Amino acid sequence: MSAYLTVNQQDGLTQISLHNDWVFANLAGLQQTLDAVLPASEGRVTFRCSGLRELDLAGAWVLYEKSMDFEELGVKTEFEGFQSSHLKFLQHIIDLAARKEYVPGFFDPKPSHFVRDGIQRIGANTIEAVDSVGFIARAVLDGIKRPSRLVIGETIRQVHSCGVAAIPIVAVVCFLMGVVLAYQSARQLEQFGANIFMVDLVAMAILRELGVLLAAIMVAGRSGSAFAAALGTMKLTEEIDALRVMGLNPNQVLIIPRILGLVIALPLLTVFANAAGLLGGAFIGATVLDISGFAFSERLAVAIGLDDALVGLTKAPAFAFLIAVTGTLRGMQVKGSAEELGRLTTVAVVQSIFLIIVADAVFTVVYSRIGF
Amino acid sequence: MAGTHEHVISIRGLVNRFGSQVVHDQLELDVRRDEILGIVGGSGTGKSVLLRSILGLHGPNEGDIEVLGRKIRHLEPGPHRQWGVLFQGGALLSGLTVQENVELPIALHSNLPVETRRELAVLKIFMVGLDLTAAAKYPNELSGGMRKRASLARALALEPKILFLDEPTAGLDPISATEFDQLVGFLHANLDLTIVMITHDVDTLFSVCDRVAVLVNKGIIVDTLDELVKHPDPWIQQYFGDPRAVRARQAARHARPDGGMQPIVTGD
Repeated sequence: MSAYLTVNQQDGLTQISLHNDWVFANLAGLQQTLDAVLPASEGRVTFRCSGLRELDLAGAWVLYEKSMDFEELGVKTEFEGFQSSHLKFLQHIIDLAARKEYVPGFFDPKPSHFVRDGIQRIGANTIEAVDSVGFIARAVLDGIKRPSRLVIGETIRQVHSCGVAAIPIVAVVCFLMGVVLAYQSARQLEQFGANIFMVDLVAMAILRELGVLLAAIMVAGRSGSAFAAALGTMKLTEEIDALRVMGLNPNQVLIIPRILGLVIALPLLTVFANAAGLLGGAFIGATVLDISGFAFSERLAVAIGLDDALVGLTKAPAFAFLIAVTGTLRGMQVKGSAEELGRLTTVAVVQSIFLIIVADAVFTVVYSRIGF
Repeated sequence: MAGTHEHVISIRGLVNRFGSQVVHDQLELDVRRDEILGIVGGSGTGKSVLLRSILGLHGPNEGDIEVLGRKIRHLEPGPHRQWGVLFQGGALLSGLTVQENVELPIALHSNLPVETRRELAVLKIFMVGLDLTAAAKYPNELSGGMRKRASLARALALEPKILFLDEPTAGLDPISATEFDQLVGFLHANLDLTIVMITHDVDTLFSVCDRVAVLVNKGIIVDTLDELVKHPDPWIQQYFGDPRAVRARQAARHARPDGGMQPIVTGD
């Protein structure tokens, strides 16, 4: 009848002879063939297995399932001529399984509780936020209370990897931003023959806002993610636990140096960012807009004062703190799986950029209120 | 051709070098069908490198490896459906539950309906002595012993012909380790399985292994344990002369598991 079995029916007695390989690789075909077999309404079914070439556990399992189906229909089944102990083994496992507790709903889709889940999530997030604030306070307090000797070296390392190493990319990005600003403002100012005021616009935008903002966003992408990934991996490999056991407080040796390092590095990086931005503006002025380098710098001295530069630079430590705290906090929250590590690294970056922009808005409002 | 050869794995002239350090020099090894072969050796003798070479995860400098009549090439598909591997740490995918971990190879290598796939996975999970509560958990929620069992269930998902175990009882407490040994013996007795295991556990060696391969002097010495203990090599003498090994040998002589239908106990 088919490649796997032949059926012989005689007055209530069904004989099913099995052929070929009843193995995992043929499972789909086996199931189809078996589904097509219908027994005589009552009587007995005999599986004759002597013609089997090979049988593995999966093959034995479909046979067993079929025999159970027959039994449920009130048909007695028996097996003939098994050479291997597979069926016995299978029976043994299934008996074991029957003795184990049944877990209700294991395969059923879970009912959806939209509102309840939503409220639970809000609660969980609130607790997490409170927990985070406590965690940061604890870390900072630890750092102040018992400064470790290891902090200095580690901080310098962080200044290097987050600050010095980031100079080229930040400089390029800000140079290009200077170029863009110069072009865009020149197009408007040309209409009034006021090309030279391009210098005011570029300098204001770069020094007060964009230099520090771009530097902070680049650092959030570079270092925020690195912090989260590094601490998260250390958490997964129990390195953090190892530090604790050795009497080192991870807050002190891992988190404080990262916060300190970034708070030192970002303002310095901002200086480079500002310089590169202005250079970009000057470059376009000299090459496209007929404003010589000398004219640019002369106008610059008139247009801006020290306070403009300070507006940008004073934001930098705050941004740095936000980036470092978010990155390290998310890293320390990793537990369990590699997937969690990836998720929290993403969260660290997205959240720190979000916080930077919120903080920037706050700064701008406050500074303009106090006339800074 | 399949099913006719006596040796399921044969290694010829295997050479593995790291820089100037030679780990394996012209190593030859045959693994017989249906045996349990234990691989032992001091640290740095290349047990893991040997295993990784057989699995195609490491490209040897020289030599041929054949598994089930198929030549193994570095990082190329091997007989994936016919071997299962239990890695030392379990190597379960941490983002999936135990159930999903066991279903994964079945889903990858067949187009069975979801229902069948699930039930087959459950069967394998029961087979290694876990229950549905454990099946619904993520690997990091399991104890070390349960993680090994779950990983074993995944290794057995495709009805493999060969099972590789990398230090299966390392990191388990003695009771879990003994249970795991019993489980291995039980599976071997009831499935057509060839088992190759790296182990340092002398109890495992004496209680379940048919033959033992000792990595010494960049080569390999394979024999039954009864013969090996008489071997003149100093490392082998030291290894089997160790009080722990002597005790294990005596214990094994008294009670060698018959591999029959003994109940599986879930240890955790």
